[in-house]
Amino acid sequence: MAQSTTVTQHDSHVQHHFVNANQQLDSAKMGMWVFLVTEILFFGGLFAGYTIYRMLYPELFVQASIELDKVWGTVNTLVLIASSVTVALAIRSAQVGKPKRVITYLVTTIILAAVFMTIKYFEWEHKFSLGIYPGKFYSFDGIDNPKAHIFFSFYYLMTGLHGIHVLVGMGLMVWLIIKTKKGEITSDYYNPVEITGLYWHLVDIIWIFLFPLFYLIK
Amino acid sequence: MITEQEHSHSHHISSVKLLLSVGAALFFLTALTVLVSDLHLPSPYNVIAALVIAFGKAGLVAAFFMELYWDKRFNAMLFVMSILFLALLIGLTVVDVLFRPEIIPSF
Repeated sequence: MAQSTTVTQHDSHVQHHFVNANQQLDSAKMGMWVFLVTEILFFGGLFAGYTIYRMLYPELFVQASIELDKVWGTVNTLVLIASSVTVALAIRSAQVGKPKRVITYLVTTIILAAVFMTIKYFEWEHKFSLGIYPGKFYSFDGIDNPKAHIFFSFYYLMTGLHGIHVLVGMGLMVWLIIKTKKGEITSDYYNPVEITGLYWHLVDIIWIFLFPLFYLIK
Repeated sequence: MITEQEHSHSHHISSVKLLLSVGAALFFLTALTVLVSDLHLPSPYNVIAALVIAFGKAGLVAAFFMELYWDKRFNAMLFVMSILFLALLIGLTVVDVLFRPEIIPSF
């Protein structure tokens, strides 16, 4: 009977169906990984389409990729990697019980994500001004290939879907900042920071593949 | 019995030094992939080089930032399986398209 008393005495942040905080965190992480698996396969369909069309029209991808600015693509890659570092530092700060630093790192992450989205906005804006729209709206005549719109359909779909994920991530960071300010994130309970971190790192991984596959084709 | 040790932090906490080193390695690999693309390697090799570097970067992020290196192996298994199923999806689709006598007209 002594055992059951120990179980009922656990901390307020542990839901009653978990044995202890550790099991709760492990379960949360596993649940998040299952979600990330669905995310990988969600983006995977687009990667499969990309592979098929690049195989069918290899010269098109070389011609069209020139329209993408390699310098801004590289800058954005570095910005996103830096944001992954700040998220990892935010998780560490939460684990060692430094809520002020958690907020500093999360704010830095939001700023870096905003820089990423701003660069993305200007890249898209520039292409739109040239008439480079996806699919049937494509009206640019600078690429000598009748299938040029296909490349940009993939470009807009994949970077767009990735961009939506970045925006969602920024929203989650705001939520974490509010939670931390309320004192709900402690060294005993930092699961939301850790779980959001997993999501953010996956968004980073997806960009790590998008960057060479779109910007660095020669 | 739930011991105090089990109850508190048995989870790994990465050092600042490690996190910054991984960040630096990712910066380096980004520079490397740009430099390699400037070499204009012949057709399959440029894609292979780009993907090898991308998988290396993804591996660093997954192992250290996402803590798979210290985590329960089950989570790593989930991640690896998702990559395998993705390879199956892409692989079988590629095989289908490759072995058709002519390109599907609407493609």
